[in-house]
Amino acid sequence: MRWEGVWLRYHRRGPWVLREASLRLDPGEAAVVLGRNGVGKSTLLQLAAGVLRPTRGRVVDRPRHVGWVPERFPVDQPFTVRRYLAGMARVAGLGGSEADLAVDRWTERLGLTRFHGVRLPELSKGTAQKVGLAQAMLRRPDLLILDEPWEGLDAAARELVPGLIGEVLASGGSVLVSDHRGETARLPGAARWAVADGTVTAQASAAPPADALVVVEVAVSATRVAGTVARLRADGHHVLRVRSDAAPPVGTPAALVAGELVAPVAGEPAALVAGGASASGTGEPGAAAVGGPAAPVAGASAVPVAPIGGPPGPADGAAVPVALPISGPPGPADGAGGGVPASGPAGRVSR
Amino acid sequence: MSALVRMRLAGFLRTGRAVAPLLAGLLALGVLYGGGRAQPGEAYGVSAVVLFPVLAWQTKILLDVEPDVQRRLALVLAGAARERAAGLLAAVVAGLGTVAAGLVYPWLVGGVTSQVTPGGRSLAAGVALGVWAHLLALPAAVALGALASRAVTGSAGYGVAVLALGVVGTLVLGLSDSVIPWLAPPVMSTARAAAAGPSGGTLALLSGWGVAWSATALAAYAWRRRVRV
Repeated sequence: MRWEGVWLRYHRRGPWVLREASLRLDPGEAAVVLGRNGVGKSTLLQLAAGVLRPTRGRVVDRPRHVGWVPERFPVDQPFTVRRYLAGMARVAGLGGSEADLAVDRWTERLGLTRFHGVRLPELSKGTAQKVGLAQAMLRRPDLLILDEPWEGLDAAARELVPGLIGEVLASGGSVLVSDHRGETARLPGAARWAVADGTVTAQASAAPPADALVVVEVAVSATRVAGTVARLRADGHHVLRVRSDAAPPVGTPAALVAGELVAPVAGEPAALVAGGASASGTGEPGAAAVGGPAAPVAGASAVPVAPIGGPPGPADGAAVPVALPISGPPGPADGAGGGVPASGPAGRVSR
Repeated sequence: MSALVRMRLAGFLRTGRAVAPLLAGLLALGVLYGGGRAQPGEAYGVSAVVLFPVLAWQTKILLDVEPDVQRRLALVLAGAARERAAGLLAAVVAGLGTVAAGLVYPWLVGGVTSQVTPGGRSLAAGVALGVWAHLLALPAAVALGALASRAVTGSAGYGVAVLALGVVGTLVLGLSDSVIPWLAPPVMSTARAAAAGPSGGTLALLSGWGVAWSATALAAYAWRRRVRV
C-alpha cells in the first residue's frame, strides 16, 4: 500500500492535518505511527483503512481485507457481544457456520467467552477493546490497523496484541499500529513513522546488531533428538533446552511466528541476553528494549530447562529451541559475552 | 450486504427509536381519517402526503442510531458502496413497514369505503393508486432523510434543518400554483392525481418525476458521503 502525496484537512478552510505524506507499507511489514496527542496519528490510520479520503493525493494498493481497531470501541449499541461479533463476521463476508466458528475462536482466544451474553454498553473499557480486536480479526485481515490497541487492556491482554500482529505478518499481511506509550517496543522489526506538524517521517526498522540472536524452535523425532542436538552444537548453535511437548508453550507461538525474539531462558547463560534484555540482571518483562531485536516477551521467559540430552519423555517428538544469530552464521559471541549494554543501540524504556 | 441491513434494522428496533415515528405516523393518520369515509384513491393520496415527513424522519433516525465509529467499522469491512447501500436499503425496508401500516390503517378505523360511486373507480383501482402514491413517496422520503442524516450534515441541528426545509419545501413547492414544482418530489401532485383519477400519461410522468428526483437526491447523498463518513 502506498500513500502518494497525501494531504488531508477536515474542513475546506481548516488547517492541514497531513501535508504531502508519501509512504509505503509492503506485505509482511509493520509500521508504528508515533507522535504526540492530536498530531494526526488516528487520521493517518483512518486514511489507511479507507475511512477517510485524502483531500489531495491518493492511497493506492490497499489490501482487500482490512481490519481496523479504533481507539475507542463504540459500545453504544443494543447487541450482546456474541450477536455483535456474529453480525460483523457476516458483514465481513463470512458464511453462517464460518462466522460462528470465527466468533467462537476469537472470543475464546481473547477471553470473551463469558461475556457472550453481555450487552455492549455494559462492558468495561478493556473488554470492549477486546471486542474491537475480535471484530478486526474475524476475517484474517491483509492489513491490520490498530489505533492505540493497548489502551484499557490489562497486562495479560496486552500480551495478546503482539501475537495477533505476528500472525498477520506471518501470513503475509501488513500491520499499522499507533502508540504513544512505548508499548511498540514489543515490535522490534517495525518501521517507525513519526507524525509531527502535519508531516510524516518514515524511519526504517533498526538493523539488528551483528551479534543479535533469535530463537528457532525445531520439532525433532524423539529417537533422533540426541544426534540433532549434537549436530546443532557442532554447527555452533546454542541449544537452549529440549522439551517433550511439541506444542509451543503458552505465550510464545505468536512471538516466534512473528520472528520476534524471545526473552532469555531462565538458568541459561548470556546467549539470549543480547539487546540488554537482562542487562539489569532481572529480565523483568516490564522493561523492554526499544528498537532492538531482543526485546523480552513476557510469558516466554522463565521456562524450565530440561536437561539436554536427557530422555525426551513419552511424546513422539521433542521441541528444541535453538538460538542463532539474526543474520549469518553464529559468531564467537555465541553463548557468552553477547550481551549489549542497556545503553547500547537498543536502549531501554520504562513503561 | 443483507447482514448489515439486518444489523441496522435490529439497532433501529431494539433501541426503541422506531416508536416515535410510528406514533407520529399513527397520530397523523388518525387525524386524517377522523372525518369520515372517503374513496380509497383520494384518501391514500393524502395519506402519502402525510406519511412523507414521517418516512423521512424515520430514515434519519434509522441512519443516526448507529454510532459514527460503528458506521466506519462497517465501511471498512463491507466497503463504502455496500455500507451506504445497506443503510438506504434498511431505511426502505423500515419504510415499507410504515407504508403497509398506512395502507391497512384506514380499513381498521373505517376511514375508507368500499362502495363504488357511479362512474367512479373500482375498489382495486383505488387501492392500486394508493399503493402507487405511497411507493412513489417512499424513495423520495428515504433520500431526504438520508440527506438529513448525521453522516451527511455532521450535526443534529443541521440535520433537523435539512429535514424541516425538505418537508416544507415539498409541500409548498408542490402546491398547484407553484412555478418550480419539479424542485420537489411529486408528493402533492400525486395526491391530486390520485383524487382526480390520473390518465396513463400522468401516471408515467409523475412516476418518472418521482424516480428522477429520488435518484438525484440519492446521488447527492452518495456524493456527500464520499468525504463524510
